[in-house]
Parts: sequence; C-alpha cells; structure tokens
Amino acid sequence: MKNNIKVERARMDLTQADLADRIGVSRQSINAIEKGKYVPSTVLALKIAAVFDKPVETVFSLEESD
Amino acid sequence: MGSNYLISHKFKPVGWVLFVAGILAGLYLMFTDYEVEILNVKVLALYGGDGIFSSNEGFFKIIENGIFDELTALSIIIGGLLVGFSREKIEDEFIYKLRKDSLVWALLFNYLVLVLAIAFIYDFTFFDVLVINMFTPLIFFILRFNFIKFKNQSGEE
Repeated sequence: MKNNIKVERARMDLTQADLADRIGVSRQSINAIEKGKYVPSTVLALKIAAVFDKPVETVFSLEESD
Repeated sequence: MGSNYLISHKFKPVGWVLFVAGILAGLYLMFTDYEVEILNVKVLALYGGDGIFSSNEGFFKIIENGIFDELTALSIIIGGLLVGFSREKIEDEFIYKLRKDSLVWALLFNYLVLVLAIAFIYDFTFFDVLVINMFTPLIFFILRFNFIKFKNQSGEE
C-alpha cells in the first residue's frame, strides 16, 4: 500500500511527532507507516486522513502487488 | 490496544536495572566458573541431594547453598519480564505488532541457535549452552524489539 503522508505533512507543516501527537500514536508508528513498513488498521488510516481533512483514498492507495 | 498481559510502564526502569545487573552478575559467574560462594544460607530444596554426586536424594530437604547464582538468574528473568512486558510510553497498534513479531522472531532464532549448539558443541562446554539458553529467549526478544523500535525512531522530519 502506498501513501502520501509525507506530502500531506509538508502541506500542513507538521513533523512526524506533531502528527503522532494529534492522533495519539507513537512517532515510530508514523515513521513506519510513512516508509511503507507498516500497514495501519482502518481506524488509524481514517484518523490520519481526518487530520489532513481528506478522504482516506487520497492519503492511502493500493499498489499492484496488494 | 487489546493487550491485557502488559503491566504498567512504571515497571520498565526497575526491569532494566534488574535485567542489566543480572546479566553482568551472570557474566561474572560464568568467567569464575560458578565458584562464587557468597551469601551462604540454608534453603529449602523441594527435591535433591546434599551435593552434585550425592546419592542421598530426597524431598523437602534443608540444605546449605550459596544463593548468589539463584539471585542472579531470578534478577535476569524477572527484570527481563518487566522490561519485555510493560507498556511503552505510547502503546499503539504498531508497537503491539512489533512486540508480537519480536516474540516469534526470538523463539525461532533461539531454537536455531540451540540446534546449532546441540550439533556442534560437546562435553562440558555444552553446560554453558544450557545455562545461557535459559535466558536467551527473553534477551533476543528484548534486543530485537528495542532495535527495531530505535530504528524507526530515527526517521527524517
């Protein structure tokens, strides 16, 4: 699964730590999700999308291998 | 997260102290061939004899024993359990998955090492393998969990 969290963070001028604080997860989680090492649960994906005020599909999208 | 086997984060520092102190004491014991005879006290043996080669075995005996090695082993195990099974400061789904993955990894890696040790280490040296192997599942688990956690911390901002 691909994501553009990094782009969206830059757009809102948020650090990984800021984003982690807003949704109450560890910074490691944001880092791992951003690097594509961890696929978040639906709940967490929805929370991240909510911070960016965008539909979840624009933040996360399927890859061919999924 | 649905992880009801974890205890409070407050136990983590205590756990680290016990764990590290225990490992240092354990290394000291290994290098002195377990000949540290301090803290000699009378203890209750559920089953055993008066010495290694004693034929006088039986249940519930009061024997004299140096308890430094027992305290060391308990310190490593209790400290390791406190470190490995106390909550992180922020406990979330990624940490939860990382902990479970690390447990599986540690168990498999431990047995891989043990298989190699059984195949290639003989005689009295194997005694060391048995001793060390009492603690390696916990040690591998803690090392791997904290290593991956640390690696994910150093992300670019």
